[in-house]
Amino acid sequence: RAHSNPFSDHQLEYPSCPDDMDWSRLYPHFYDKENKKMTKEVTIADIGCGFGGLLIDLSPEFPDDLILGMEIRVQVTNYVEDRIIALRNNHAKKMAYQNINVLRGNAMKFIPNFFLKGQLSKMFFCFPDPHFKQRKHKARIITNTLLSEYAYVLKEGGVVYTITDVEDLHNWMVKHLEEHPLFERLSESWENEDKCVTIMRNATEEGKKVERKKGDKFIACFKRLPTPSIA
Amino acid sequence: MALIHPLQSLISNSAGNLVFVVIKSSVLAFKCVDGQYSLVGRWTDDLASNETSKQSEDATTVKKLKDNEGQVVKKAESPAPGIAFSLQVRNLTLTHDESKLIACVDSDKSVVVFEIDEKDGANCLKLIKRQPFPKRPNAVTIAENGDKVLIADKFGDVHRISINQSEVVKSEEMEPILGHVSMLTGVTLAKNSQGQNFIITSDRDEHIKISHYPQCFIVDKWLFGHNEFVSSFCIPSWNPSWLFSAGGDDSIFAWNWEKGSKLSHFDFSDLIKPHLTKAHRGADRFQNEKKDVIECAVSRVLTCESIPFLAFFVEATKLLYVLEICPKSGALTLKQSIKFTHNIVSLSESHDEFCVTLDTSKSDDEEYVNFVEYDQETEDFMIDIAKSEAFNKALISSVKDDASVKADETDLYSLYGIISLKNMGNIIPDQL
Repeated sequence: RAHSNPFSDHQLEYPSCPDDMDWSRLYPHFYDKENKKMTKEVTIADIGCGFGGLLIDLSPEFPDDLILGMEIRVQVTNYVEDRIIALRNNHAKKMAYQNINVLRGNAMKFIPNFFLKGQLSKMFFCFPDPHFKQRKHKARIITNTLLSEYAYVLKEGGVVYTITDVEDLHNWMVKHLEEHPLFERLSESWENEDKCVTIMRNATEEGKKVERKKGDKFIACFKRLPTPSIA
Repeated sequence: MALIHPLQSLISNSAGNLVFVVIKSSVLAFKCVDGQYSLVGRWTDDLASNETSKQSEDATTVKKLKDNEGQVVKKAESPAPGIAFSLQVRNLTLTHDESKLIACVDSDKSVVVFEIDEKDGANCLKLIKRQPFPKRPNAVTIAENGDKVLIADKFGDVHRISINQSEVVKSEEMEPILGHVSMLTGVTLAKNSQGQNFIITSDRDEHIKISHYPQCFIVDKWLFGHNEFVSSFCIPSWNPSWLFSAGGDDSIFAWNWEKGSKLSHFDFSDLIKPHLTKAHRGADRFQNEKKDVIECAVSRVLTCESIPFLAFFVEATKLLYVLEICPKSGALTLKQSIKFTHNIVSLSESHDEFCVTLDTSKSDDEEYVNFVEYDQETEDFMIDIAKSEAFNKALISSVKDDASVKADETDLYSLYGIISLKNMGNIIPDQL
């Protein structure tokens, strides 16, 4: 199934607040049993991670970061879980792929339940559901109101990455990010030098599909600006 | 059968001499002179009466229940009891200078603004604006010293409109100033101890969000602790950094919203258990094998203006609970419970006096409204019988022949809509 309604009450599991989240289950390798504490926290989130291609390619590039994929579709989440278990088993000697995992969740509703203020350094929005109809636009993953919540979980200087093959959606995302006072677009030369952009362009299953169909890929990256001080 | 439909909502001005009520789709204003009330204003939503027949048809259509994969699992009987299919006028709100009255109207999803012209003895309610919204307005607060009003809707967005200009903004041109991906149940403005302004919003996904105002794009924090929807919250004027909230949980929560910390909670589940009835039995599709799932929710929680008490009631019960708030710690203890003759429909507060309206629809009683005052001598809350009787008498005598506010079983306006916010629309018993 390609779509899921973000407004409906899925039977989701989510922590009642970020401090209640048990990350050790997802990243056992980064759990210090003696002190009962995580040695790292999640700093990179792939919102709507799909089949997990981006997570897998980001993993070796950011060995010191924990990377979380969030996906609302049950079967897709199960698939990514199995895929990561297999990767971890196949690379058990090198302890690779311990820093990535996936959870089923509705990021649009519950992102503040998972992450503390300023916890994330990167957020990826790769090939999100375009929700073409006008009246469905609030269901888009980038809206001016949701951007305020993404800005809350992103640290200052953190980056929002977007990629889509739908030009109309690209323009929509750029417009809303540009209008938002806490985000500033990063230049094309920045994009060309950033390794995540390269990975995002090539890694995801959606991206590969667009490649095969020789479609366009639209990319836009935005920096989280410092929160202005308020008198 | 009572003469008049139960009052869905009531609000008094601060002097207590003007009382505004909602009956069906009418707003009525009563003035009190020397303890005697008289009708001084009225407005009826004409759109609502035209729509009623259409709505009741809609209400009988069968709602399909889907599981997470979109499969139709079971047809639920619709409307489930209490779901607000009928058209409401809700959220009566006065501007701080009490020159204007604001209400949300379901019929065309609009907000209406009245100027209160006390000099006009025939009708003091002058409609100056009717602003339709893309989605149904669900909560209201006054901003910018009464220049603007903030409207939180059922789609999760907060819009800001001006009160004083009568021209209407096209709904497609409206941009939300803030949003949740969830139905909003409350909105209010607050100031922290440094004098910074904040906007606080609550939703049916357990969230209470605090953002700067008017820089709503800067989220300050969330208050985490509710496990069910939040239906109501309030900030006491005697300690503006505190906040009390309630909803589908078994507890009333006390917070220091400025620090983001929970001060205490008061679990009322044992108190309320003996008073829950068949009406609180969960809908069939959410029942367990023993058929003993009971669901209840707090409709409203309100603090007194100057004394450290709050009152709340659980939907479809007759009890008003008053809790004492420790002014140092925020700890909540039971002060008193007051049992009325009928289920409570609405609760309001003015100058340390609570006012409840009752569901008299199944009786001949004329106890539509009860005022509950704090007695300085006994230090107890008690029903102000004289005031309540005076009001009820004036109410009956002024509108008893009025067809538009008559109690009529065929279109009993929804009085119990809170429990339907419970976030379990997709729990399928045989999938658990």
